[in-house]
Amino acid sequence: MLMNNLKKNKIQIFSILFFLFLWQIISQYLINDPLILPTVSEVIKAFFELSANIPTDIAVSLLHLSTGLFFALIVGIPIGALMGWYGNADQLFDPIIEMLRPIPPLAWIPFAIIWFGLSDYSAGYIIFIGALFPILTNTYTGFRNTSKRLVEAAKVLGCKKNIDLIRYVALPSSFPYILSGIRISIGIGWMCVVAAEMFGLDNYGLGNVGVGNMLWQYYSLHMMDRVALYMLILGVMGLLMDRLLKYAETNLLRWKKGTNIRQI
Amino acid sequence: MKKNKSYKYIAMTILLIVGLSGCTSQQQAEEEKLNTITIGVQPSTHQVAEMIAMDKGWWDEIFSKYGITKTKDKLFPSGPPEMHAMLGGELDIAYVGAAPAISAISKGLDAKIIAAVQISGSALVLTPELADNYTGPNDLIGKKIATFPPGSIQDSVLKHWLIQNNINPDKDLRIVAMGPGDAITAIEAEQIDGVFLPAPSPSKIELDKKGKMVELSGAMWPDHACCVIVVSGKLIREYPEIVKEILDTHIRATNYIYSDTDDAKKICAKKIKLSEEVIDYSLEHWDGAWVTDPRKIVDSVLSFAKVQYDLGYIEKMPKQEDLFDMSFYNQI
Repeated sequence: MLMNNLKKNKIQIFSILFFLFLWQIISQYLINDPLILPTVSEVIKAFFELSANIPTDIAVSLLHLSTGLFFALIVGIPIGALMGWYGNADQLFDPIIEMLRPIPPLAWIPFAIIWFGLSDYSAGYIIFIGALFPILTNTYTGFRNTSKRLVEAAKVLGCKKNIDLIRYVALPSSFPYILSGIRISIGIGWMCVVAAEMFGLDNYGLGNVGVGNMLWQYYSLHMMDRVALYMLILGVMGLLMDRLLKYAETNLLRWKKGTNIRQI
Repeated sequence: MKKNKSYKYIAMTILLIVGLSGCTSQQQAEEEKLNTITIGVQPSTHQVAEMIAMDKGWWDEIFSKYGITKTKDKLFPSGPPEMHAMLGGELDIAYVGAAPAISAISKGLDAKIIAAVQISGSALVLTPELADNYTGPNDLIGKKIATFPPGSIQDSVLKHWLIQNNINPDKDLRIVAMGPGDAITAIEAEQIDGVFLPAPSPSKIELDKKGKMVELSGAMWPDHACCVIVVSGKLIREYPEIVKEILDTHIRATNYIYSDTDDAKKICAKKIKLSEEVIDYSLEHWDGAWVTDPRKIVDSVLSFAKVQYDLGYIEKMPKQEDLFDMSFYNQI
């Protein structure tokens, strides 16, 4: 089983190993300054030094991320669906969305502090802002691209009400778009975690913890091996969540198999 | 066969890109160094000497004699990011707290402290209700206090003072790292209980009636060193005559603060974009003093190093000669 998995993913494993090898060679022989680029071995050493704290840091950041993502989903999907299905809703929301969309999540930090204080909701809010728009616009695109033939077929089969058409036709056919929006949002969400944890949050009463928070702390102390370690943690968490979504995509979208050039 | 060739091309391209980008940025940096001097400074009354020298054109005066055509200064919210920029080769001279200089030099920064800039000059400010009932450090237990990031003077003084008063800075209260702008916003929005910041930020909060000063840093750690001038090793080794002039200019600017304080206040207010009223109030209510003699702060700086070592910020205790170059000051 393990051997099978290894064989199946050999290109991906090779790609990661090659990346680490290249990093070690460049940092050790070309740069040779841990401040500019710490070596892989120094980062591994930092990992063992901090291994007791890392699970708490990840858990706190995951909670921040999930708060933001949860609200992005419950706000983004309905608004995106309404905008994609009803022309009037599109006209109503579009100017507001397009005005708010270019504002970077970082620019919301001063208001987040005023509105939510230094609570964990502030972090959730910054992540929500970053994650909302990919979900919303992808849902919108999915609904807009719902096949006319599918809608007409559903109508012929007795599905007349808008709510039913949305539920049984538009929503399932938009699902690949929504999932892809969620995948993009998770990536942006992790970027926002670093920004959101920059100012001293409550961290659920656990004190000085959180992946983003610790990254900034070690940056202040010029401990670049630890900074690189927390950057890697962010990367690995993003990768794992992406793989999880890909797995969900494969299982939830079995009907899509054979509709594209590349098998999902 | 074809596959092998393409792998080779990819590998060669990566190496070329890495190599060339390294060369280009290094060359650019070298070329820029010959023409430009960059000075790091923070928006604080502590470092008004640098602001005066810049405003009066004194830096240009000395550097132009050596063919340096451009002098610029960069503002940093606190010492740690300023030292990080110096570690990245962005600064030639830094007006910075002694504590961030210690941690940067301990991490391999090729630079030395050549003069003192100022001592004391920070204050603990609590929200008005807490300040009215404040009796001592024990009142801070369970509170949330914002200060500069770990490795800064303020972080070190605050934690040292708390430990001296048998308060665990990691467990008994929450210390959050912030720059001056964020910390002022946070206390004025009543999101934290207090701040420990350098002048003039405590005065700004007090004038806005959002907090009151309850402790001055000079009382928390008597006559503690604060800001210093850090000069890059390259300047010290290759251009000692310029470093000597930097020191002379710093002394001239420091004397100017005392001889024409009103003008110094105006220059500072303009530079850090605060009203003269705040600067005035700040200088009336602070406990700091502008100094230049590095010999007088050696013990205090080494104590900071000990605090940082005990807090685990640095791996080994630096010696005086690792941190200071007294040779320039000794020539005066």
